[in-house]
Amino acid sequence: MSELLANLALGFSVAAHPSNIGFCLLGALVGTLVGVLPGIGTVATVAMLLPITFGLPPVGALIMLAGIYYGAQYGGSTTSVLVNIPGEATSVVTCLDGHQMARQGRAGAALAIAAIGSFFAGCVSTVLVAALGTPLTSLALLFGPAEYFSLMVLGLIFAVVLAKGSVLKAIAMIVTGLLLSMVGSDLETGAGRMTFDIAELSDGIGFTNVAMGLFGFAEIIRNLEMSQESRDIVKGKIKGLMPTRQDLIDSSGAIARGTLLGSLLGILPGGGAVVASFAAYTFEKRISKTPQRFGRGAIEGVAAPEAANNAAAQTSFIPLLTLGIPPNAVMALMVGAMTIHGIVPGPQVMTKQPELFWGMVASMWLGNLMLVIINLPLVGVWVTLLRVPYRLLYPSIIVFCCIGIYSINNSPTDVVIAAIFGLFGYWLAKHDFEPAPLVLAFVLGPLMEENLRRAMLIARGDATVFLTRPISGGLILLATGLLVIAALPMIRKRRDEVFVE
Amino acid sequence: MAEGVKTSPNQGGFRFKVRGPRDFYGGLVLIALAIVAIWASGDLPGMHGFAFGPGTAPRLFAGMLAAVGALVALSGLLFDGPPIENYAIRGPAWVILGILAFAGMIRGVHLGFATIPPLGLVPSTFAAFIISICGSTETRWVEGLIAAVVMTAFCVALFVYLLQLPFQLWPWY
Repeated sequence: MSELLANLALGFSVAAHPSNIGFCLLGALVGTLVGVLPGIGTVATVAMLLPITFGLPPVGALIMLAGIYYGAQYGGSTTSVLVNIPGEATSVVTCLDGHQMARQGRAGAALAIAAIGSFFAGCVSTVLVAALGTPLTSLALLFGPAEYFSLMVLGLIFAVVLAKGSVLKAIAMIVTGLLLSMVGSDLETGAGRMTFDIAELSDGIGFTNVAMGLFGFAEIIRNLEMSQESRDIVKGKIKGLMPTRQDLIDSSGAIARGTLLGSLLGILPGGGAVVASFAAYTFEKRISKTPQRFGRGAIEGVAAPEAANNAAAQTSFIPLLTLGIPPNAVMALMVGAMTIHGIVPGPQVMTKQPELFWGMVASMWLGNLMLVIINLPLVGVWVTLLRVPYRLLYPSIIVFCCIGIYSINNSPTDVVIAAIFGLFGYWLAKHDFEPAPLVLAFVLGPLMEENLRRAMLIARGDATVFLTRPISGGLILLATGLLVIAALPMIRKRRDEVFVE
Repeated sequence: MAEGVKTSPNQGGFRFKVRGPRDFYGGLVLIALAIVAIWASGDLPGMHGFAFGPGTAPRLFAGMLAAVGALVALSGLLFDGPPIENYAIRGPAWVILGILAFAGMIRGVHLGFATIPPLGLVPSTFAAFIISICGSTETRWVEGLIAAVVMTAFCVALFVYLLQLPFQLWPWY
């Protein structure tokens, strides 16, 4: 316990350095500013803002990225409540009740409760990350290549289970992502794989290009097809920012339960934050005495998923910082950022660079505080931003994305690749394929291949090693079980109930 | 097969009626992607002993993709599904053209028939904005031009002056 406090104290001494507070504040502010734009989710926001952290010292850069991440997530919630456009998967649920509240003139209460819920969840999960970090690091030592491989399989299966439509199509997207991640030089021999002799492909397809194309550009192309009304922006004014006493009483239980659920689910690799917000919403609806209020502006329906998604966002740093496995696309970007700064994510970060690890943990809490400070007074500003008509907003987003992609490598080819993925994403949407599992698989692909190769080499070509080693076998068993559950159509029907009023 | 109520574009040569064209053609494209990948990775060495070669994993994943793609196509063949949505041409074309214009102009490019010199950030941003604005049916030109100027200025201020990224601004610099 005293060690925990000492570690947190170290963390806060790093995070509370004026320049680091500045980076955190700036990150949260810019993250919210970009995240609040309709159609730009967390992944795109972090991807776009990644280059601005390149010139900073490593600790400052990661603290700023964490700030950007929370800012982007909160920005997504703001868009969901105000205009009913979820910026990303986790805010889909917030739309359901949040936008209804906004229509009833209670947007202020919805946004405030989202901020308060997120802050509470952030406080709890920061302590949890600090407490669980060390024990999980020792667990990491038990992990060999076979275990890592099985863990990543489990993560991918999670992504399949979470995907909305058909399980088979989600698996198809996973395999497509794995295949695309194979483009580039082979790790061991350096042989160019599927590069078609294009020099820019020898380093592989950049993750940013894939994410920006599939989410940013494809989304814009999709939106251009829609009629004007369906993406119309609220015209009304937001009155009465603070929630009433009754609102606070109503939502306190939901926030606590959401936090708990989110913290647990966030630790698991593979889209923890998404499943957390869905699960929290469903759970609240189940235990509510008046479930019919959900979908019609129930404040618990905003509080629970917002708390859950923030808690999960926080605890999803645990697998990244201790095992070095990115649990989702945003964390994968963080790995990229760490690598650029010469930090190899994994258990050794905590022992070799304690000020970095604990500084980041402390900055998570700080980032949440910043969000409350920034967002409550600035709601009016975000609304003004959303009043920009879409016909002017989308070219701005395109230009911003182009410059963002280009600036990463100063490579025009990257911009072209992103454009190709934009068209591919449009095609995927037309055929009801979801891009999220593809992106996760794209990120995990090279790691999976590396561990698969090593495991097979160590086991002298014996593929049963994944089942006979206890931890690995358990993970595979869990993954199989999940897949079976997801594939049972009856369960899927029940899963869809979340969307039914 | 009788002429179904839910008619969908059917290829003349098929004996079976495609019940879920969205899945069927989706699966076919994935199979095509897998075949391209198998062809592209065909020259890479595979397993030697217990060790994977560079070509092992790509061919493994490509094979899996072909199998899953076949299952998706099969499910589209056997089960009723939604028809294929219409593809818009105007929006995607202008948006992609705008992005490509940015990519081509920022550092210049040699195309088969012409060479674009490096034009720098300001003209590229402005052109990308103006071209992509054409993708919408709600374009108002005066407003669009003003917005393009403002956005270009904003991007220069943000990326070049605030974030200190090394961009060439103009063709002559």
